[in-house]
Amino acid sequence: KRKDRVFVWGFCYSGALGVPSFVKPDVGWKKPRRIQPTPYRLETEEKISSAACGYGFTLLSSSTTDIIKVWGMGLNKDSQLGFQRSRRDLTKGYEYVLEPSPIPLPLEKPQQTRVLQVSCGRAHSLILTDSEGVFTMGNNSYGQCGRKVVEDETYSESHLIHQLKDFDSRVVQVVCGQDHSLFRTKKGAVYACGWGADGQTGLGHYNITSVPTKLRGDIDGVNIIQVSSYGDCCLAVSDEGDVFGWGNSEYLQLACVTETTQVNVPRHLPFKIGKIKEAACGGTGNIVLTEEGNVFVWGYGILGKGPNVTETAVPEMIPPSLFGWSDFNPDIRVAHVRCGLSQFAALTNRGELFVWGKNLRGCLGTGRMEDQYFPWRVTVPGEVVDVACGVDHMVSMVKSF
Amino acid sequence: LNAAPGCAPRQHVRFLPTPGDGGTTELVAVRVPVLADHPLVRGPRFRHLKIGAGHRLDLKASGVFVLGIGHGNKLLTDLYNCHLTKVYTVGGLFGKATDDFSDTGTLVEKTTFDHITREKLERILAVIQGTHHKALLMHSNIDMKTQEAYELAVKGLIRPMGKSPPIITAIRCLQFALPEFHLEIHCLHETQQYLRKMVHEIGLELKSSAVCTQVRRIRDGVFTLDDALLRTQWNLQSVQNAIQNCRLKVKAEIEKTL
Repeated sequence: KRKDRVFVWGFCYSGALGVPSFVKPDVGWKKPRRIQPTPYRLETEEKISSAACGYGFTLLSSSTTDIIKVWGMGLNKDSQLGFQRSRRDLTKGYEYVLEPSPIPLPLEKPQQTRVLQVSCGRAHSLILTDSEGVFTMGNNSYGQCGRKVVEDETYSESHLIHQLKDFDSRVVQVVCGQDHSLFRTKKGAVYACGWGADGQTGLGHYNITSVPTKLRGDIDGVNIIQVSSYGDCCLAVSDEGDVFGWGNSEYLQLACVTETTQVNVPRHLPFKIGKIKEAACGGTGNIVLTEEGNVFVWGYGILGKGPNVTETAVPEMIPPSLFGWSDFNPDIRVAHVRCGLSQFAALTNRGELFVWGKNLRGCLGTGRMEDQYFPWRVTVPGEVVDVACGVDHMVSMVKSF
Repeated sequence: LNAAPGCAPRQHVRFLPTPGDGGTTELVAVRVPVLADHPLVRGPRFRHLKIGAGHRLDLKASGVFVLGIGHGNKLLTDLYNCHLTKVYTVGGLFGKATDDFSDTGTLVEKTTFDHITREKLERILAVIQGTHHKALLMHSNIDMKTQEAYELAVKGLIRPMGKSPPIITAIRCLQFALPEFHLEIHCLHETQQYLRKMVHEIGLELKSSAVCTQVRRIRDGVFTLDDALLRTQWNLQSVQNAIQNCRLKVKAEIEKTL
């Protein structure tokens, strides 16, 4: 029978990989491992359906009806993993969590509600349930948790988990940017809250927003089927294959429509590359996947087209032969694209994972420490179903053979 | 070969005495064939033929086998340095495992194989291809950070130009009829025993076991099955025709790579 497994790799000292023996070895001969350069299997009790990597922490969630549905590991200085009661001193909480620890959610019906998706930003996290709205925890100094900003609030060891319920319809996707949050509802509308100094909330101003507000601009009335963000730039894909962008444009991400470096209203990006199926935003570069299975990149940084292409405002296609396409295998297609802060990941329909970008602390998982200028296959013993990219680590859900 | 008309004997100029008119002997320059070139003096032209072999072929395997004759032996080393891929058709049988991975060895274990489907096999083949592709890029000794490495990778032309362990560049399932299956394998620097071992390992990955029934090389660099001569065609005329046909191809390939 094919089992579901979770593989992690990247920087270990923050505890984000969930293997305590990397940081505090349990046996005398083991040495603390700073970087895990190749995929390492993480043992989990339940089947993990969704994972998200933040800036030094990870959230794993399973769609079970048990009481414990979400586990977190890594940095917890802003309670982005909830309150983790310390075993030594029962009044205090842990600042670093080294292994996947359950996060207690204040659900009304804990035995019926299922967690659909999790998302992590710099110091906050969002958990999406199917019937009880969105739960937010973590840093709220910019209102990114969707509640009013309290002056001089201490976020560490906080028990507060806020619940967001009033949207125009059920929320189907939550996305965390660096210090802002985006919510996509079933009707195709997008809501945002949090820091807006780069216009990443898309609400027409550069102030912070502490209540999720609906976005207008070019996406008003458009049925959005996917939203993506990780840094300060955001992209949204409509059901007709158009892509809209807003937020930071200092790295030419939105330079095809405007010369300004901050865009605070969603603008349509008129690319003539075909119908777009999926988009992903990184810190300085963006990537989209078209219906035919072609991958286009633009922005700044290591884009995946060799060491000479470092910045482009117009999307450039990555040759499919780099993903294993050849006359011998003509039916290999890229199925999903994901973005970390300065890394890109692509999943093919054969279940292979290709990564490229800056290899910060071994997060690419190639086994080497050098930056990767074109897509490189990661050897994972299994068929990769999904991958979540963070700043310096990655988590993948894999089906064994 | 010896019966074919050889080159004409050399001619040289000799001054021969001929009886001139009136009794005096005069020296007249006459073109006369050199006696040393006469066939009866020299003997048969070819007594030994230097034949060299290209990439080795096992006793139990069959297929294209490249030979170099005479001056062609020098081209053999050049062809080896080109590191071109070879294509094999490998036949396998699920359910048995033997000690030398082929069906004529001593049986080690028997397993069931009803759970194996074509999709599972293709999945394993995709993983094999993936890991070998990585090995290909790593052994090719090109710095991954350069622009030319990127361009070569796009065109798919990166290949190891020196010694390397066996690498499979492409593998594909041609036929699948339980318990038999046939694979087409494109590889570099391999031996037939390595291919049999690969069949055995595929059987293990599929949680069963497999033995190799047939290994047949269908291409070796530029030489395909169409250029190959059958046992019945091992005569002078066909050999000469074959050399003629392949000469251009070999020259083009060597010039392209070196």
